[in-house]
Amino acid sequence: MQKEDTDILLEMAHDIQDTYGYIPEKEIAELAEKLSESRATIYGALEFYSMFYTEPTGKYIIRICDSISCYMNNSNEVLEAVQDYLKLEAGETSDDKLFTLEVVECLGHCGEGPVMMVDDRLHTQISPGRAVEILSKLH
Amino acid sequence: MLQERKFLKGPELRDIDDYDFPGFQKALEMGPEAIVEEISKSGLLGRGGAGFPTGKKWELAYQEEGENKYIICNADEGEPGTFKDRYLLDERTLKVLEGIMIGAYTIDADTGYIYIRGEYSRQIEILEETLQKARKAGILGEDILGSNFSFDIKLVRGAGCYVCGDETSLLNSLEGMRGSSRSKPPYPISKGLYGCPTLVNNVESLACSAEILNQGAEKFASMGTEESSGTKLVSLSGDINFPGVYEVEFGSASLQEIIEDLGGGSQQGQEIKFIIPGGLSTPIVPSDNLQAEYSYEGLQQAGSSVGSGGMMVISTAQELSDILTRIARFYMDESCGTCLPCREGNKQIYRIISEAKYAGLTVDRLNLIQDIGDTMQEAARCGLGRSAQLPIGTILSEYKEELIEGGNLP
Ligand SMILES: Cc1cc2nc3c(=O)[nH]c(=O)nc-3n(C[C@H](O)[C@H](O)[C@H](O)COP(=O)(O)O)c2cc1C
Ligand code: SF4
Ligand code: FES
Repeated sequence: MQKEDTDILLEMAHDIQDTYGYIPEKEIAELAEKLSESRATIYGALEFYSMFYTEPTGKYIIRICDSISCYMNNSNEVLEAVQDYLKLEAGETSDDKLFTLEVVECLGHCGEGPVMMVDDRLHTQISPGRAVEILSKLH
Repeated sequence: MLQERKFLKGPELRDIDDYDFPGFQKALEMGPEAIVEEISKSGLLGRGGAGFPTGKKWELAYQEEGENKYIICNADEGEPGTFKDRYLLDERTLKVLEGIMIGAYTIDADTGYIYIRGEYSRQIEILEETLQKARKAGILGEDILGSNFSFDIKLVRGAGCYVCGDETSLLNSLEGMRGSSRSKPPYPISKGLYGCPTLVNNVESLACSAEILNQGAEKFASMGTEESSGTKLVSLSGDINFPGVYEVEFGSASLQEIIEDLGGGSQQGQEIKFIIPGGLSTPIVPSDNLQAEYSYEGLQQAGSSVGSGGMMVISTAQELSDILTRIARFYMDESCGTCLPCREGNKQIYRIISEAKYAGLTVDRLNLIQDIGDTMQEAARCGLGRSAQLPIGTILSEYKEELIEGGNLP
């Protein structure tokens, strides 16, 4: 069966996540309906993608690259400082639901490492101190 | 002293009002068959990593019959050490658009996709705006520039998976499924998106194609060597003074010259230990081989490949086991899990390597990694599983003594 190419799950899911910060159960049901798939299929697909969340996350998602080039520019020091400050391990969300911390692979800014993203906002050549300073201003 | 050779690079080109798409206009005059011939004559090889001749790909896609045909611009750029497509999307946006349009016209596609990694938020904004303006200006849409050709492009954001850069995973991903790979054949050219003929090209390949029509296949072919035409965007990073994207004419420089003349040498004058010349899925080139010529054949002779052009410089100041651990972790984390050798193999390799930092690497463990790696190279379904062994295996064999001595075990 040939499917329609008008509705693209990835784009629909991004839009939902841009609105809610994650993809809630009822939206999964709606996606399933719109795309004529089972909820399990949609859920299984979304779960594959590391940028999609089916549970609420922190208000801010902090992504720190620890791939090879950033590592050579001391990403581990930035990561340690941020982990210390937030008291979070990779993949965890803070109790006050302010931050989710993700340690990620290459973000495509290897010439300007270390690199930290706060949601869509990119910070390059970041020092441990500067990283913490940026986070301390977020409420 | 080596200088950049600028064929793709140039001033920022984003504003539709500043550009009248001469390459595309020429394409409309030439017609599909002449375009295919021109691209073939240029000798352009795909810049996404696999190096398949672009002209041949376009010819095959042109010959395919189908009510719907698609073109996909692969902007998923996720291979560690690679950021040259981002440069093109940022600075040479309209050249990328022009390349997609020429490809679409050549194979007669009416819909195109740009699959861009979800983390490229700035580039996503730029592309959204560009596409909107292009539609307004009649560069996209019905009867473009008064021709009978109608075409539009959809921008689709990926969601954090390196494996989706593989063209077959990308197709599954676009179709709303998990981004795991498909077995080939059938190739996307004959049965791609929604089962229709689909041309998938890398951002740089498409920008090159636009410039080949603009500046001529002859000019492109006159640069480089017999087997490596034209120029390549090299992303330089790691222990290097001036990291960045540099355009290098194939055959005009050794690896050493690229590092010294363009990259300003290694950071703080540290001694270079090895480089990874083409992204994290290419074998390393140890420092005693940096005289190798930068070209497909030169790097092949040096035991590696051009790959994506993501060149990482690793100095002796780095802890080898930490570098290895990160490479192994990358493959473990990014494996899509569909086939056993890659899913389990990468986990095992990561475990042995990360433990080795404290427990030491014995000859037995080293052999075990090689065995697992060899199995993956043979039995894994897609390029991800098949290439894990390339950087890891070459580091292990090159620095065997150091790694075995390096641990704390007797
Ligand atoms: C795991 C994996 C990841 C890949 N990632 C990319 C990518 O991010 N961008 C890209 O253009 N090609 C990538 N490729 C190569 C594509 O499968 C495909 O060969 C390429 O997009 C074709 O374009 P080209 O002929 O213009 O190079 C990847 C391949 C594999 C196996
Ligand atoms: S080789 Fe790895 S990434 Fe590729 S299909 Fe198999 S499990 Fe997935
Ligand atoms: S290695 Fe960190 S952005 Fe590429």
